[in-house]
This record gives sequence, C-alpha cells and structure tokens, in this order.
Amino acid sequence: MFNSAFDAIVPLLCVTLAALASMSAEAFRGKGERMPIGGLGIVGLAGAAVSCVLLWNRNTSSFGVIVADNFGLFVTMTLIIVGLLTIMFSSQVLDLHDLPRGEYYTLVLFAIAGMIMMATANDLLVLFIALEIMSLAVYVLTGIRRDDQRSSEAAFKYFLLGAFSSAFFLYGIAFTYGVTGSTRLDRVGTFLAAQSMADNPLLLVALGLLLVGFAFKISAVPFHMWTPDAYEGAPAIVTGFMSTGVKAAAFAAFARVFLSAFEPFSADWAPVVWVIAAATMILGTVVGVAQSNLKRMLAYSSIAHGGYLLVGLVAANQVGKAAILFYLLAYAVTNLAAFGVIAMLGARDRANDELRDYAGLWQSHPALAALMTVCLLSLGGIPPTVGFIGKWYIFSAAVGSGYYGLAIIGVLTSVISVFFYLRVVVMMYMAERDGAPALPRVGAVGMTALAIAIFAIFYLGILPTAVLDLAAASISTIF
Amino acid sequence: MDLRTAIQLGIIGLTFFMLINASALLVLAERKIMGFMQQRYGPYRVGPHGMLQPLADIIKLLMKEELRPKGADKWLFTLAPIISVTAAFAAFATVPWGAQTTFFGLLDEPVKLGVADVNVGVLVVFAVTSMGVYGIVLAGWASNSKYSLFGGLRASAQMISYELAYATALASVVMLAGSLSLREVVDSQSGVWFGFIPRWYVFLQPIGFIIYTIAGVAETNRAPFDFPEAEQELVAGYNTEYSSVRFALFPQAEYINMATMSAVATDLYLGGWHGPWLPPEYGWIWFLAKVGVILFVYIWVRWTVPRYRYDQLMSFGWKILFPAAVINLLVTAALVLYFNA
Amino acid sequence: MDGWLGVLIMIGLGIGFAGVMVGLSLLLGPKNPTPEKLAPYECGMAAVGDARERHSVKFYLVAMIFLLFDIEVAFLYPWALALRDLGWPGFVQIVTFFLILLVGYVYVWRKGVLDWGPVSSRVRSQRPKAA
Repeated sequence: MFNSAFDAIVPLLCVTLAALASMSAEAFRGKGERMPIGGLGIVGLAGAAVSCVLLWNRNTSSFGVIVADNFGLFVTMTLIIVGLLTIMFSSQVLDLHDLPRGEYYTLVLFAIAGMIMMATANDLLVLFIALEIMSLAVYVLTGIRRDDQRSSEAAFKYFLLGAFSSAFFLYGIAFTYGVTGSTRLDRVGTFLAAQSMADNPLLLVALGLLLVGFAFKISAVPFHMWTPDAYEGAPAIVTGFMSTGVKAAAFAAFARVFLSAFEPFSADWAPVVWVIAAATMILGTVVGVAQSNLKRMLAYSSIAHGGYLLVGLVAANQVGKAAILFYLLAYAVTNLAAFGVIAMLGARDRANDELRDYAGLWQSHPALAALMTVCLLSLGGIPPTVGFIGKWYIFSAAVGSGYYGLAIIGVLTSVISVFFYLRVVVMMYMAERDGAPALPRVGAVGMTALAIAIFAIFYLGILPTAVLDLAAASISTIF
Repeated sequence: MDLRTAIQLGIIGLTFFMLINASALLVLAERKIMGFMQQRYGPYRVGPHGMLQPLADIIKLLMKEELRPKGADKWLFTLAPIISVTAAFAAFATVPWGAQTTFFGLLDEPVKLGVADVNVGVLVVFAVTSMGVYGIVLAGWASNSKYSLFGGLRASAQMISYELAYATALASVVMLAGSLSLREVVDSQSGVWFGFIPRWYVFLQPIGFIIYTIAGVAETNRAPFDFPEAEQELVAGYNTEYSSVRFALFPQAEYINMATMSAVATDLYLGGWHGPWLPPEYGWIWFLAKVGVILFVYIWVRWTVPRYRYDQLMSFGWKILFPAAVINLLVTAALVLYFNA
Repeated sequence: MDGWLGVLIMIGLGIGFAGVMVGLSLLLGPKNPTPEKLAPYECGMAAVGDARERHSVKFYLVAMIFLLFDIEVAFLYPWALALRDLGWPGFVQIVTFFLILLVGYVYVWRKGVLDWGPVSSRVRSQRPKAA
C-alpha cells in the first residue's frame, strides 16, 4: 500500500469501487444489452476478502475512525460471504422478475460497503454514516419491485421506522458527545472508565437512546414491529440479504459500542438487555409458530435468533463474545441459504412463499428439498449442523456467567422453534402436491451457491474448531 | 444614542429606502427602456416624462380590492408575498456598497457603508435569496389555482437547479479572495495590474462571471428564464390569483432581488467601489454606476431574448452551466495552487 | 454596522414594510366579493377539480439530486477558503470527491433524470418492460 493510513479501509474501498463500477456500467448499458454486472460485484468482494486476509492480525487503523482489527475483519469476512451468496442467488431471481440488474447489484454492494464500515467504525459519527449508507440502500432494495404493492408497502414501513430509529441513534450520539466530549469509541471508553452513572444522569439517556437505535436495527422486542412486514413484502432474496447482513453489521457495531466503550457500565445496561433478550426469544418463537407464510415465519425466526445473539451479549465473557461472532457467521450462511431456496422457487406471477406451496417438494425437487431441510434443521439447532454449535456456545456462555434463566429460556424457545421448522420439512416430504402450479427449475449458479452454503453448514457443524479459534482470536483485539 | 450609532442606523435606513426606491425606479426604467427598444415612448403622462408613474401605480394598487380565491389557504396566501419581500430586503443586508468613511471628519473612527459586515456575507446572501423561493412556492400552493401551482413548482425546480451553478461559480471567487466576507473580497480587488488593468476578478474569472450572470437571471426569474410567470402558458404563474398590494409585493421582491444580484456581482467580480479618478469616499458612485450597468443589461436581455423552452432551461442548467462551473472551479484551484507555490 | 444586528434590523424593516403595505390596502381597498371573483382563474371557464393534485415525479427527482449536489457545494466552501493551506493534497482529495460524484452525475444524466423533453428524444428507461 502506498500509504499505511489507508490500509484499514482497503476492504471498504474494494467494495465501494465495485459499486461505482456497477453504477457506471449500468449507466452506459445499451437498451437490452446484458452485462456481467454481478461479476463486477464478485470481483470487488473477492478483492475485499483478499485484503481482509492480508490485514489479519495487523490491527491497522485509518485516521483513527476506521479500525481493521480482527473483530472487524471477522465480521467483514462474514459480510463478504453474505454478499457473494446474495449475488449468486440473485442472478436467477432478477431475470425472473425483470428487476433492474445494475441498480440491484449497485445497491447490494453499497449496502455491503455500509455494513463493512459499520463493523469497522471506531467513531460514533462514522458509525452513523455507515448505518445510513447501509439503510438507504436496503430501503430501496426492499421496494425494488415497484409494481408489487406489498414490496412498496414494506419499503415504506421500513423506511419510516428506520428513519425514526436513526434519529434515536443520532440523539444517543449527541448525548454521548455531550457527556464525554468525544465521539471516538476509545476516548469515550477511557472517559467512562473513570466515571459512575450517578455522576452523569445524562449518560443514562445516551445509553438508552443508543440501545433503542441498535434494537431497531437488530429487530429486538419491542422494536421488532417492522420486521415481519418488511421481511414478507421484500423480494425473498432481499429479505435473506437484510436478515443476515444488516443483522450481522448491526450486531457487530452493537457489540463494539457496548462491550468496549460502554463496558464500564455493563452492570447498568446488562439487566435491560437481559429483559430484551428474553422477550425477543419468547416473542419470536411463539408468534412464529402461528405463521403460515414461510417468509413471515422466517422473519419471526430471525427475531428469535436476534434474541439468542443478545444472550451472548449479556453473558459478555470470553466464550460469549466469541460465540456472538461464530453465531453471526453460522446464522448468516444458514438463513441466507434458506431464503435463497424460497427466492429461487418464486415464480413470475406468484411468490410461492406460503407453507402449502412447499407440499410435495421432495417429489419435484428432491435435491432442493434436502438442502432446505438441512438449512431448517440448522436454524432449529440440531446437530451435526452449525446451528447447534452456535447455540451450544451461546448458552454455555450464559451458564458460565451465571445467567441460568436466560439459558433456560433460550433452550426452551429453541425446542419450540424446532416445531415450526419441522412443519415445513413435514410439508415437503409427507404432503401431496394437489393442483398447485408447478415450481420453477433452479439454475446452476443458484445450486452452486446452495451447495457452498450447505457445505459450510456441515463443515462448521462438524469441525468448528478452526473458525472458533479465529473468533476467539478476533475478540482479543478489542475487548 | 451616540452619534456613531445614529449614523449607522441612518445608513441602514438609507439602504432600505434606496431598495424601495430601486424597485420603483426599475419599474419605470424597465418600461422606458422597453419603449425605447420598441420605438415608442413608454409611460409619458404622469409627471414629467412619466417620472411619477410608479407612484401612481402604487396608489392605484393600494386602492384595489384584495381578493383571495375560495379554497385558498388563508394564512399562507397572505404570508407568501411577505416572505418574498422580506427575503429580498434581508438578502441585501450583508452587501456592502461603499468604502469606509468618516463623513468628512465628523466621526473619529470611520464607519463602513453597508447594512451589516459579517464574516460569512456570501453565505448569508445565498441562504437568504434561497429563502425567496419559499414565497413563490407557497404563493403557488396557497392559491389553489392550477396556474399558480404550476408556476410555483416550476419556480422551485428552476431556482434550485440554477442555485448549484451560481453557488459553484461564487466558490471560485471566494477561493481567489480567501474570504467569505464581501467587504474583504472587494478590498482584495483594489489596485491595478500593469498600471492600467484594474484588479477585478472578472478578468481572472470571466467564465465564472458569465455563469454567475446567467444563473442570476434564472434565480430572479427574469426573461429569458421567466417560466414561473410565463404569461402565454400560465397566465401569470404563481401570482395569477393575487391582486392589490399583495400582488405588487412580488414584482417588488423581484426588482429588489435584481438589485441584490447586481450588487453582489459588482462586489465580487467588478471591484465594488474601487475605480479610478474618484477618491475612496466617493467610491459608492462607482458602485452605483456598475450596478446600473448590470441592471441595464438585465433589462436589455429581457427585451431582446425570447423565452427558453422548459426542457431547454433544465438541461442547460444541469448539463452545461453546472459542469462548466465545477470545471471552472477546479481549474481555478489548480492555477491558484500553481502560482502560489 | 458590524455584526448581525444589521441583518436583524433589515429583516424587521422588511416584515414591517410588507405588513404595513398589506394592512394599508386592506384599509383602503373596497370589499365586495362575488362568487365569480372568488373562483380560481381558469381562463373564464368554471374551475375543474382541485388544483392540489399529484404532479410530475420529475420535480421530486430534481429536488433530490439538488439536495445531493447542494451538500457537495456546501462542502466546497470550507475547502475553497482553506485551499492555500491544504495545498495539492487537498486538491487531490477534492478531485477524488468530484470523481465519485461524477459517477452519480453520469448515472443520473444517462437515466434521463435531467431530460424534461418528450420521451422520444432519448433512451429513457433502459430496462425491459415488466410483463
């Protein structure tokens, strides 16, 4: 690199340049001309991945506001995987629905750039800008099917509530700045280490507002209201993208802010997060049971998974912190694969996302049914999939820190959630397909992506040690 | 109140009074010049050579009935012209129009000729002139008439489109002067090059000056960019439903805005009150003369050039003027750095 | 006068002047409204419908791109003032900034946002029509 001050933003630059290149390519694309714009995105993401590997363990920092520590790089890698899988799943979906290709890939790449920035930001204001870059792109992606009413409605709801939560977050930053005199996380942390809550009641306000802002983005109860509508209305592949990417980025930022800068006050915020985690797990699971739409069901499942991640945050011991990172990766791969299946089974005129549309999938698409089963079992946390390992570490971290109640709630809700995942499996294998129109065939690129995801699910489920070691090494750099 | 404060208040009052007169004079000048260009007399009946015509107009308008169409928004309908006029007056507040003077030794410390001298004068002019668009948009919206609404919408789109070019062109001058204070910009233009060329920024920024002038015409909604009130299409545009004084306030705001644009152009590009022969205390005569020339060009253009088409207006602003302003800015920056090093 | 007081006085004078003029005309002018006078002007025909209807999306698009580029111009001013201190590195940075904006500008241009003329004059939307 020509200037070491720019090292830490190289992954970000790769993705941003790819996004700009896609945008220019789209601008100069002739009418009806096909361009490999998705390929541009893959090249950019691959470049980011390579730079992540090169930056590993170097702990570089750009201008003090973007840090490429191992924690950020681990999440960045997760996000790059999310981006690659999304682009691979998308090619078929875009053709099917005549979505604007150039704009779609550009927005996906900008969203990933925002997410990476969020995961590596070391300054609250940079974090906010990253949040906005990511959110604006995702709002548009949600409504990218303009001729579809549900998609537009979802985008509008998501946009309004998202803007609202951004305002909360920004106020939280303002109050934090007011109390500590800095927006840099390291300086905030140093300042707070010498303070107590009683001295600074305003700090409580700041903490609360930041918590609300993050809770919106990770759709934790009681700020989950937008999730089911937005997830159901958005095109399935976009839902997959935002339920994994946005969640991973928001959680990374959440963990960084609350476990490093606000660590001195963990005794104050831990009980609140405890309640939120418990409520999120319970509500996500219980309401999920009642859903008949697969996307809506997975939306509630995603809320519940947010709850499990919060357990790791509350536990906040070495195991818990590493478990958050591992769980994020596990959840991202699994959930994205599940949504990829839904997206690729969607037809031009109907979404095919109702539970009964999956009746007899085993007869028509045996491979796809098997892959979907693996994803659902992994989401339910059944060995030997990665979902099991992730939950195992989360709950053992909770037990290790003495949060037995949370662990019990987590295990119970996991068991309940298996019920609704298995319902889909039962539908696929044991129900007859009666009269419903045939499901479309799935293309080679999509199948490749699915195969990769399934391989990852099993690999991480059976031999998790290598990645767990990486996760453990990641958290040592910031906490 | 000491003498100094009184004189400063007097300067403010004088500026305000001159702005009111400027709008009246400009109406008369416009009609006289129009008559001259169309080979007729123009106003001739009221007073010697029609000099009292504006006064008669005002009195007539005061005696007319104030109409507010049914369905119009009561408060916004009245507020709109007031916003327009207030923004027009306030925009002139940071524009200096003369050097410092002690009034022939009357004061110990010299006072500055101008309403207010703030260090971000250029930005204030900007901010306040763009407030003027609120008046026009609100007038169009509040009237509940289709012509008004179209006029208001067109005005907003046009003004925001040309504001970019206008602001970017000004940034080049700010860069040369290294200050946002209009007075400092003027003072950095004193002196001459090679003994005879005045150090006016118009010679360093010819393209910037042209862009500024064109954008200024568009910002004040004057022909050939008078789409907000294009009478052949929109009857009278945003002020279709206005009558009496509330109607009169819009043209008044327009003429004051013209004066402001010309005064800012004089300060930024034409060396303000700097000029040969006259001592600095009489610099304001130069200032008035320069402003007068620019105002004459304004009127001249109006009666010479036909109106654009709306799509031409937008593509001219966005595709030619704005890129030209940006390139001008970057070239200026490079040259400044090159010659400074 | 130094400082902001003059600006305030000028705003006050402006509001006062406009208010007095409007008030005077209310006092001096006649008042005999009729339904015909109060109807919105539509070239002599009876007004059809409400004026406040949906209008072309073009206006919204222009407003949005204006916001983007206006913020850019707002960034330019501090840079223009500090140009001599920032030197060539600052120049390179601002050129980079402009290049990034240029991509957006080219995109907007090619997508026809800046064209207000008839659709036929340019390739408008390049994506195929949804079936």
